[in-house]
Amino acid sequence: MIKNIDNARKIKMGSSFMNSAIALVISLILGMVIIGISGYSPIESYIAIFGVSLGTLKGFALSLSQATPLIFTGLAFAFAYKVKMINTGAEGQLYAGAMAAALVGAYITNLPSGVHALLGFAAAFLAGGLAALFVALCKVYLNANEIIVSLMLNEIIIFFTSYLANGPLKPPGSGVGQTKMIEDTAKLTKLIPQTQLTTAIFIAIITACVLAYLLDKTVFGYEIKVTGHNLKASNVAGINVSKISLITFALSGAIAGMGGAAMVLGVNYRFVEGFSSGYGFAGISIAALAAYNPIGVIFSAFLIGILKSGTITLNRTTSIPVELVDIIQVLVLIFVAAPALIKSIMSRAKKVRSKSSREEHMEVKTSDI
Amino acid sequence: MEIIRMENISKIYPGTVALKGVDFTLNKQEIVSLLGENGAGKTTLMKILYGMTAPSSGRIFYKGEPVRFKRPIDAIEKGICMVHQHFMLVPAFTVVENIIAGSEPGSNIFLDKKKARQEVIDLISRFKFNVDPDAKVEKLSVGEQQRVEILKVLYRKADVIILDEPTAVLTPHEVDDLFAVLRRLKDEGKSIIIITHKLKETKEIADRVVVLRDGNLINDNVDPRKVSTKELSEMMVGREVNLQARRPAKHIGEVCLKVENLTVEEDGKEKVKNVSFAIHHGEILGIAGIEGNGQTQIIEALTGLRKPKSMKLTLDGKEVTGKSSDFLKAGIGHVPEDRLSMGLVKEMSVMENMILGYHRESEFCSKKGLLLKKQISQYAEKLKKDFLVKAASIYSAVSSLSGGNQQKIIISRVFSREPKAIIVAHPTRGVDIGATEYIHNQLIELRDRGAAVLLISADLDEVRALSDRILVLYEGEIVSESMPGELSEVEMGLLMTGGNYMVEEGKQRD
Amino acid sequence: MTFNAEVLYSIVASTLRSSVPLILAALGGCFSVRAGVSDLGLEGMMLAGSFFSVLGSYITGNAWLGLLFGMLFGAVFSMLHAVMHITYRVNASISGMCVNLLATAATPLLLNEIFGMSGKSPIVEAFKKPDWQWMNNIPVVGRILGAQNVLFFVAILLVIVSWIFMYKTKIGLRMRMVSENPHAASTVGLNVTAYKYFGVAMSGCLAGFAGAYLSIGQMNLFVEEMTAGRGYIAVVINAFGKYNPLGVFGGSIFFGFFDALQTIFQNIFPSQLVMMTPYVFTLLVIALGLGGSRGPAGVGKHVDN
Repeated sequence: MIKNIDNARKIKMGSSFMNSAIALVISLILGMVIIGISGYSPIESYIAIFGVSLGTLKGFALSLSQATPLIFTGLAFAFAYKVKMINTGAEGQLYAGAMAAALVGAYITNLPSGVHALLGFAAAFLAGGLAALFVALCKVYLNANEIIVSLMLNEIIIFFTSYLANGPLKPPGSGVGQTKMIEDTAKLTKLIPQTQLTTAIFIAIITACVLAYLLDKTVFGYEIKVTGHNLKASNVAGINVSKISLITFALSGAIAGMGGAAMVLGVNYRFVEGFSSGYGFAGISIAALAAYNPIGVIFSAFLIGILKSGTITLNRTTSIPVELVDIIQVLVLIFVAAPALIKSIMSRAKKVRSKSSREEHMEVKTSDI
Repeated sequence: MEIIRMENISKIYPGTVALKGVDFTLNKQEIVSLLGENGAGKTTLMKILYGMTAPSSGRIFYKGEPVRFKRPIDAIEKGICMVHQHFMLVPAFTVVENIIAGSEPGSNIFLDKKKARQEVIDLISRFKFNVDPDAKVEKLSVGEQQRVEILKVLYRKADVIILDEPTAVLTPHEVDDLFAVLRRLKDEGKSIIIITHKLKETKEIADRVVVLRDGNLINDNVDPRKVSTKELSEMMVGREVNLQARRPAKHIGEVCLKVENLTVEEDGKEKVKNVSFAIHHGEILGIAGIEGNGQTQIIEALTGLRKPKSMKLTLDGKEVTGKSSDFLKAGIGHVPEDRLSMGLVKEMSVMENMILGYHRESEFCSKKGLLLKKQISQYAEKLKKDFLVKAASIYSAVSSLSGGNQQKIIISRVFSREPKAIIVAHPTRGVDIGATEYIHNQLIELRDRGAAVLLISADLDEVRALSDRILVLYEGEIVSESMPGELSEVEMGLLMTGGNYMVEEGKQRD
Repeated sequence: MTFNAEVLYSIVASTLRSSVPLILAALGGCFSVRAGVSDLGLEGMMLAGSFFSVLGSYITGNAWLGLLFGMLFGAVFSMLHAVMHITYRVNASISGMCVNLLATAATPLLLNEIFGMSGKSPIVEAFKKPDWQWMNNIPVVGRILGAQNVLFFVAILLVIVSWIFMYKTKIGLRMRMVSENPHAASTVGLNVTAYKYFGVAMSGCLAGFAGAYLSIGQMNLFVEEMTAGRGYIAVVINAFGKYNPLGVFGGSIFFGFFDALQTIFQNIFPSQLVMMTPYVFTLLVIALGLGGSRGPAGVGKHVDN
């Protein structure tokens, strides 16, 4: 009898899911505490948040559109993590991709609609990929710390694109740093009028599916997983670890770049200075919450998108802080990263409930986040 | 005069009983050798004495007083110190710093470096240790580092010194030096326990031998002068030590794997010095030797994991070079030294591990790079059945299997590719008897099918039982080539520890 | 623009000013790494220090108390890294990043909640530029040092004290042993966990000090994201300076120079390109492998209890 998903993976997926779910719940609860401190009723606030983001058309569209760039950056981090590399450069890759898409969108003319938009995505893919490739080369050949190289590159890319948008590429008469508006043929179709929701979300979901397929069904994905789990064994098995690391990390950056394209071609129709509200770093939490599973990223991005949509909308009428979602994201990351931490909170909760239980001495092992 | 008495010590771990009611005593100014196989319980017993772990039951008396050690520092304060097998030193610090760290002299918060240095120098000269106090430990030889470990213990005024496998990493010359040191310490009033499984050394240095087996005390008053190594090993192992029935090669063919002028350099030293040998089809060539004499480097060179300084390798006449994937493709199979860190991905399933290394072969992978899942699972099921791998299913994670079954995955994977030549390293290390026998049978069968097998193992019994020809490796050189049975176990042991001159002079019997 | 003595003084003074936050943060990194814990969270600890020192000064009306407040909260934030990594064995880079992300998310929130403002805080009591007239009489050095804040001198003092602590005291030796070989340290009876927590707490204090320098030392208010990646640069300086207070001091001056160059180039090149320079320089240092010196051998290793 052939099973479709191995038992080993089933059990692991199950426990990762539980871990993520509990982390999310704890973070939401702590979020309630923050709301409470601000002077609002937590329950009412959450009901309002979810009510808006799931209950209204505009709110739902905002949920999905907020989720779109997050799917890209979440996939980027998750994919790189499959070879145990940490891509903190998504923010910069996002900006690089956005600029590339903006240039393709604005300066190339006479292309049919669909093709133009896809070309924009392709340019963004390339730009993000090259930025990440640079980091990966430093890591593989110079043994540099990819975290710091990525972070430095982020600043450099953001400053450089800002320079372009304020200088040579700035359209006359513009108040802010931005580039020329893209051609109509490059603009993505809106799925719901007067919202930010475009066909980009389909591209995001398709990308996630492609990555899932890649990891599960191809030899390349197999080699990625082996390398990520056991570098030595990977070498012994004849796998070219350097090549795998380089390609995977570059792909990770390329996907993050596509997130930039989604913003440029779908929302702003041009590169705008400062267009990203931390999408790059949010990707880290999104990926962790999804237990680094590509399909899971879709859902965790959606969840965060819901929270963002609700808080953004409510922020207009109440003063529930927009930063609340950022805090929740960090909390999620903290709790997902430390499953032992969750276990100890859970067992303390149980201890409070049953006074007679004695807490066992906990075995603490190295955790893989 | 009794200085330590351990009464009825038991230690139970979930799933195993490491010690079953063991009594142990140590007299003042005595050197006791605590003898036993891997897993006999000797290290556990000493860990309890030293305070690293608590006994499940039993009592300990030190100098007549009952004691209970909760942490090593409690034992150290009483004067019981351990010199670990893997040195607890800081390579970047000097000898003085390593010795005093944690117990520094000086009355205030500042380090009194002068005083520390003087105290260490006094200690060195008192015990005639011959170590440079200002040298950085990373620059010292292994023997010297061990002496620093011992100085650490003496600095803390130890009365009882426990040494864990002290000779495992020493050259024979360094072993002599160590024994001279131990005798001096004994004369100065120290009491010493040596944990070991080395018979020859036990007979040389110990006043009394205590033998453990499977957590039981077998004999606590063996006089090393009156007993033979054969008797000792029988006590350790519990059965008559016999050479396993030999199954000589049926048909040894042409040269298959030829190694010429293999030299490997590491950290500026030559770890393998111009070694050449050849393995024929249908032959098992065994390389015997203590770990650390160049085996790892030879394996790495022969499997493409390391580019040696020089080597000419031919397989059936065709030269083999390149990376590990090239060697695999050429038909050289590899059963690695350390199955979990080098041969398996424990988080992945049995099925996925069974194609590791061969995953790009056309039977598992389409031209476009897609995994042929159906073929792979059928292959894995067959392998699991043929090689008797005990697992819940081919989808179970490898981490859930026992050591022997994990090793079987590697064996099944490599052997069923029908490699022309195969490099097998320590195949039954940490594997139970049943799986060991099975793996040995598989090796013989593979050989009889015409493969050339290179067997590298620290288990001399294994090498002597399986090989058709035996090489002894010592400090990167082949010091002897013999047919099985030509040399006795003792002679081989001597060759492995560099005593080849003694064998040439005349046969030694114990 | 003419190059004369004035400009030279200005560059040197500017260099020293820019290097102070780097010195302090990288010094904190020293403590952390020399206790066996990597220091990726310096940026977040610094940002926390920037904010909370402003808060402290706002509440007490005193800059020194504000500084203490900043250092305290730098340490508090560092405890997140400590607990996650030391007690729960999370990968130190991840736990470090968590500190950074938390500070980045929390400071705007707190800015809003406490001050009701966004983007920047109200103006508070800060360290004033010293008015040491007598300094001007000392040739060359006087002009340069006179342009420095009193905190510059505190920073130098801290470097010296830290060096003495690490290399001349018993506790310093023990701490370094923990960073080199925690197993060995535990076998001689040292409490490895305590030393690691200490190292991280010190890094939090010092990084908090660095952040406070940015907000109430050089300026008199808090601006969102005012650390601008200096914490990460400090991580690189720490490696560049071989995890040693004196090396870190030298490295910070070096990097501070490139930060100071901005003031000169500002009128020549577009501002964004100028602001890029410290990061480009840092990247070059890493890419050229200069920032990858081998640290203590036991960083990131845990001891089973």
